[in-house]
Amino acid sequence: MPNLELDKLLLSRGDDGRAIPGSIAYWYSDFWTYIQLIVETIFMALTATIIGAAAAFLLCFPAARNLAPNSVIFLLSRRFMEICRGVPEILYALVLVFAIGIGPLAGVVAIAIHTAGALGKLFAEVNENASLRPVEGIRGVGGNWFEEMRYGVPQVMPNFVSYTLLRFEINVRASSIVGFVGAGGIGTELNRVISLYSDDRVVAVLLLIVLTVTLIDLLSERLRTHFIGKEHFA
Amino acid sequence: MTAATLAGIGPDEIASVRRMHPQAFGSWRGKLVQWAVWVGVIGYVIGSLWYFDVWKFAYASDRVWRLIAAMFTWKDMETWRYADIYTGIAQTLAMAFLGTMLASLAALFIGFFAARNTMPFGPLRHLVRRMLDVLRGVDQLIWGLVFVRAVGLGPLAGVLAIFVSDTGTLSKLYSEAIENIDRKQVEGVRATGAGPIKVVRYGYLPQVLPVFISQSLYFFESSTRSATILGLVGAGGIGMIIIERFRANLFDQVAFVVLNVLVCIFVIDWLSRKIRERFIGETSH
Amino acid sequence: MLTTEKLTKNFKTRNAVSDVSLSIPQGQMVGVIGRSGAGKSTLLRMVNRLAEPTGGSITFEGRDVTALRGRALLEWRATCAMVFQQFNLVGRLDVLTNVLTGRLYHHGFVASMLQLFTASERAFAIRALDRLGMAHTALQQADTLSGGQMQRVAIARALVQEPRILLADEPIASLDPLNAKVVMDALRTINREDGITVVCNLHTLDTARSYCDRIIGLKDGVLVFDGTPEMLTQEMAREIYGAEADDAFAEGLTSTSLGGVPAKQRLTERDLAKNAQLGLAAS
Repeated sequence: MPNLELDKLLLSRGDDGRAIPGSIAYWYSDFWTYIQLIVETIFMALTATIIGAAAAFLLCFPAARNLAPNSVIFLLSRRFMEICRGVPEILYALVLVFAIGIGPLAGVVAIAIHTAGALGKLFAEVNENASLRPVEGIRGVGGNWFEEMRYGVPQVMPNFVSYTLLRFEINVRASSIVGFVGAGGIGTELNRVISLYSDDRVVAVLLLIVLTVTLIDLLSERLRTHFIGKEHFA
Repeated sequence: MTAATLAGIGPDEIASVRRMHPQAFGSWRGKLVQWAVWVGVIGYVIGSLWYFDVWKFAYASDRVWRLIAAMFTWKDMETWRYADIYTGIAQTLAMAFLGTMLASLAALFIGFFAARNTMPFGPLRHLVRRMLDVLRGVDQLIWGLVFVRAVGLGPLAGVLAIFVSDTGTLSKLYSEAIENIDRKQVEGVRATGAGPIKVVRYGYLPQVLPVFISQSLYFFESSTRSATILGLVGAGGIGMIIIERFRANLFDQVAFVVLNVLVCIFVIDWLSRKIRERFIGETSH
Repeated sequence: MLTTEKLTKNFKTRNAVSDVSLSIPQGQMVGVIGRSGAGKSTLLRMVNRLAEPTGGSITFEGRDVTALRGRALLEWRATCAMVFQQFNLVGRLDVLTNVLTGRLYHHGFVASMLQLFTASERAFAIRALDRLGMAHTALQQADTLSGGQMQRVAIARALVQEPRILLADEPIASLDPLNAKVVMDALRTINREDGITVVCNLHTLDTARSYCDRIIGLKDGVLVFDGTPEMLTQEMAREIYGAEADDAFAEGLTSTSLGGVPAKQRLTERDLAKNAQLGLAAS
């Protein structure tokens, strides 16, 4: 564990303007860089969640047993989603970093792929529990399969939104780690300070990550209850 | 007013309907908001992808082909040091097993402190819950990094990471299961004059046990997956082998190892489902 | 003219509908009666191909309906509107949009996906709701309505399809007597004023007698009665419903209506032919 010397913790900068090792000022001397990386991390998660959710939305209709136009499409979509889900994000990130180089893009795509699979499965399950009557109503007026989905299934939207917000929370966590293999975000910094054996800095970065994740969790929970509450009173 | 055909609707008809039911023609404000949201979201996504240099994908193709090709052409198979691979897999399974088992036992104990009906004393319960939230909230990989710093590289760090993180999640699950039990059974045991420990043993435990076993098995399976990943950050097991061979550009070996791991996970998944079916099936009479 | 020739639907274990042959002239109001499971629903659903026949054929004005595929099948479903027992509306959408979905066949892909309906379609939809007394609910969410109101919205949806045939699968089975009367009156008005053929599955004899020009009785998938309500004797009714010989079978037992339309207002085959000549059945 890092050297936690309480007397040194609160010292401000020394006479030569450099921070004294052991103080909080030293821990966070790269504070501005950290903040930038945290912001990048959050945006990575946001973009990945949006893209992943869009893909999941497109896939969840053919992947629902009661909605799929035929069983081949159903099986294909399900298998595809399972592949996306089964491989952990960090592995995708590893491969993508190799393919397109170091940087946040690898992280975004890796998380987006995993999200598509995970959300897709949840969405498909929600669809399978939905009532088919409106869908049949649309079929009865002469709608094609796409129209059946577009008009017959909007009942599931609140659930979709709730799951997506939950996924955003998880993705913030994931995006803070993928940097470890070079895929952008605060994880890159974590990797750097670990290899420097700078314990204090490691703790500093870890604390920052935990703090960010907790804040996002709280925010997302607020949003979810607000949204679900609004839906129920609509 | 029996305009029975669409063709019969002339412009005066539309105008008169519009006068009586103006909102039926869609409020422009509502449409504007909708369009604004869509434009905003799509704009954000395109913007952020541009910021993240999405065009890198254009340069990626040949490297990806090389990678894929390398993954499928297996050469020099004698030099692959199989012993390391299989020890690694065994190590991963052991890590997962140990970590989950310790976590289940700890969680069973802690669960009672976090459940409303067994810990009526509010402040202590809330304290336990907050601590569990911290354990859960910090991603397992981060715990892995922390423990690698603390106890060095190797499987011990992995076991500790799994232990800590699973204790958090399992405790919460068990406490919820405890809160959902049937009061009457507990009262029945208490009415026989049994002391608190016996009440727990005979009143709560039998009801919680199926959830306990089921969740622990599920977690063992998912721990095997996470143990593999933990290895990537140095916490022991097959992950370390994967990353060392990956860094050495020995992609065919990486593919082989990953295949083995997938097979293992599949087997464990199947086993755990069979056990759960057998066990839960037995108790549901 | 809608004809079926030896229409059959076989499930693996039983025959739902066997060899039903009918001819329904345009503009007739037909009631289909029979016990639950007698095949009424299956018969109706085969007409608009929500269920696939396993044998026989259906023809409408010379066109073989059973062979339709793809776009032509969708067009047929648009021409042959259906009203369901459970209304089958989209609860989360508002009433007006529900009615507008009746026009979906006529829209291209993009227009449907983006919910772009023309002003004239909107006016048409409001007029349809008006005919059923539901225009004031146009912007309400559909699942806030009562059963009777929802069924009327469903009928409005059928109307904007500009159908030639309207199939009603137990339209009043989930409704209380007052709402049932309102709905049956609406169906009858549409039949008379627009010349749309209405085929209704009903499980109450007196409703069938009161509203329909012609009654078809099914028993275990087989057509056992086809004639005017006057021809439907007590014995025929007992046979259709399979009442035991000893049981006192009172038609009142199957009744939930509050009274219907007197016999002299029913249309005979001659009336129908005359109406067709006068061009009342709009093309």
